[in-house]
Amino acid sequence: MKLKKASAIILATALALGGLTGCGSKSDGTTADGKKNLSVFIFANDHESPIYKGMIENWKEEHAETIGNIDVQITTQEEYSKTLTGMMTAKELPDVFYVGPESVQQFVENGYIENLQPLLDELGITTDDLVAQEALNSYRYDGSKIGTGDLYALPKDASVFAYAYNKDLFDKEGIPYPDPENPYTYDEFVEVCKQFTKDTDGDGEVDQWGCGLANQFMIQQYIWSNGASFLSDDYKTIKIDTPEFKEAFQKFVDLTVEHKVTPSVEQDASLGVYQRWLAGQEAFYACGTWDVAAFMDDETFPFEWDLCGYPTLSTGKSMTWLGTVGFCVSASSPNKKEAAELVSYLCANEDGQKELCGVVGGQSIQLPNLKSLAEGEFVSAIKDGSLPFPESVDVFFNYLSGTDKYEGRFQETTYTPNAEWFDIFFKNMDNVKNGSMTVDEFIEEFQPQMQESLDTAWESVE
Amino acid sequence: MSGGKAKEITKKKMNKAEFKEHCWGLAFVSPAFIGFLVFMAFPIVFAFFASLTKWNGMNSMMDNFVGLNNYIKLFADAKFWKVLLNTVIYMIGIPIGMILGLVIAVGMNRKIKGIKFLRTLYYVPVVSSLVAVAILWMWVFNYDYGLLNSIIKHVTGVHGPNWLGDEFWVKISMIIFMVWKGLGSSIILYLSGLQGIPRDLYEAAKIDGSSGWNLFRHITVPLVSPVTFYLLITGLIGGFQVFVEVLVMVPSGGLNYSAATVVFYLYDKAFGSNQMGYGSAMAFILAIFIFIVTAINFKGQDKWVKTIQ
Repeated sequence: MKLKKASAIILATALALGGLTGCGSKSDGTTADGKKNLSVFIFANDHESPIYKGMIENWKEEHAETIGNIDVQITTQEEYSKTLTGMMTAKELPDVFYVGPESVQQFVENGYIENLQPLLDELGITTDDLVAQEALNSYRYDGSKIGTGDLYALPKDASVFAYAYNKDLFDKEGIPYPDPENPYTYDEFVEVCKQFTKDTDGDGEVDQWGCGLANQFMIQQYIWSNGASFLSDDYKTIKIDTPEFKEAFQKFVDLTVEHKVTPSVEQDASLGVYQRWLAGQEAFYACGTWDVAAFMDDETFPFEWDLCGYPTLSTGKSMTWLGTVGFCVSASSPNKKEAAELVSYLCANEDGQKELCGVVGGQSIQLPNLKSLAEGEFVSAIKDGSLPFPESVDVFFNYLSGTDKYEGRFQETTYTPNAEWFDIFFKNMDNVKNGSMTVDEFIEEFQPQMQESLDTAWESVE
Repeated sequence: MSGGKAKEITKKKMNKAEFKEHCWGLAFVSPAFIGFLVFMAFPIVFAFFASLTKWNGMNSMMDNFVGLNNYIKLFADAKFWKVLLNTVIYMIGIPIGMILGLVIAVGMNRKIKGIKFLRTLYYVPVVSSLVAVAILWMWVFNYDYGLLNSIIKHVTGVHGPNWLGDEFWVKISMIIFMVWKGLGSSIILYLSGLQGIPRDLYEAAKIDGSSGWNLFRHITVPLVSPVTFYLLITGLIGGFQVFVEVLVMVPSGGLNYSAATVVFYLYDKAFGSNQMGYGSAMAFILAIFIFIVTAINFKGQDKWVKTIQ
């Protein structure tokens, strides 16, 4: 009996100690002298990390009378969502963290993030000067639909996945540069690409191509420009069997199968289309706003290059997808008002934005969030050469703001609970690109699988 | 009744010193026991409960209880059966690895110059980082620039297969890689098994006129069967859990999911599509499969595993 008691005491003590240790990390939100503590959890690359840490430190100093400690945890993009899920499960969310538009609805419905609108109104913070109103609106939720209603996050940035061309290759082949004001039609694009596609070293194998196609990131541009989409307006039905979709899909794969102006599936497997672009083997490839610093670096990309639009299909509009990630405030934060103030600072502080867009430091990893900066110092710095940036920077802004010839949209996966339905599409696309399936056969086989996956995804949140 | 009496006697017999000793014993055992509770028992119970829900990592488990639905859905999921088949196909590498391991071990079980260097060489893949060697082999299997296809083209003049991009060849590639990676440990284990066989058995058989093949077949193979059994069990358990190789060498799971394994699919569902409940159900089914296969092996071992008595 004594033995049982003793073992029970040992176990209970050990478990209690374990429990206490677990509780130890949770902050009560205030310091002993009544100042507010905050915690921040984000992902960032090596260039961004010190900028954000510096911004947070500056903000803390400016609010030294009210703010105590700010615990900043920065991880990689790959690790972020897994760690955040763990924090949610443990109910240990930080005060400020990142959210993508695709997660806003679920986070709100499950009570993880706070409605920022009343806090911003109370603090007198407006969002009118933010460049990317489309990105801003993607964080609005009205209780049933994303895009309208109150704000639940502020965009850290808005990124654009534009098109780029290798000027040196154009010069070598004596082909005029693309006009950023008037993107090529599909047929014009094919003709230009054909002129680049050749065997340059005479070994009997093609080693230079018109363009490289990354299935996952470059099919949308063709689909949307032909007036089609993957999903119905309510994002619950797969619509890849419409004539517009089939035509756009066929034209996309024809670049590989029919016109052979891209590396084949096998060649792509040997050396990815991105690596081939960096090696100067492709005339056209994509350039995200985050790629600019790397492409401007001669060590990475030793060629002259510039931005242009993706080719247009039946709508006559060059389309691409936009990306964004936003700062939100945890619904369980004891210091929501201070957290909202910090969020607004991180999104719109001019000094921080200057570093992130490269006006200070000369390395651009995002477009400026502020209109005044984007239209003023940012453009001036590009013009006077102090900020290395491609000449046709307007291509980014055209996609971001939309014109009669350019339009940017968020990927359709943004509005669905997960992206598995799209994974099924792009992971199997090589069946068509290697000629083992026709577009019709592909759609017949994979549309039901995509629909089943989409249904499951919606069921999981209903 | 007598058991109760015995208990009573034991209780009475325990003096203060013994009690103290027991307490110390428990104190020493408790870290491991608590570790087991926290890191094994609790996650298992948690995962089992999760497998009965539509938990996606964000929603409430309690509000999303679906009973056995995930299990029912899993058995009707064609993709699950496909990845299970892929996993089983990869296990072809187990007997291949064992045969090669035994043959090489027999070759190495003699005094030849540089034998220690050779043994070390074969063991290098075992102690190398799995991710690092998987990346290395990705380049060996590269369609255009890979070592393998360069050799094939040089020897035959024909371009070799698309090792990692073709539905058939990707399986062959994975089997080759797994056999290469595991060969070193099979050789070392077989070597230790071979060195435990008494020489007089061979000598007696030789006097009786047995050929080399017969010695190998009737003495060597049966007497290293405990090692074979160990390699089979660990190979099967490890085979069901293949994941890293696929994730590194064929991150998309291969054309039409031809390279994906059960654990790869489980990971894809749980962390790629946030279907934690479904992923947990798959993990349980996998554990049951492993348990059944291992149990069958243990049950059948009496028929073929021989020891020197």
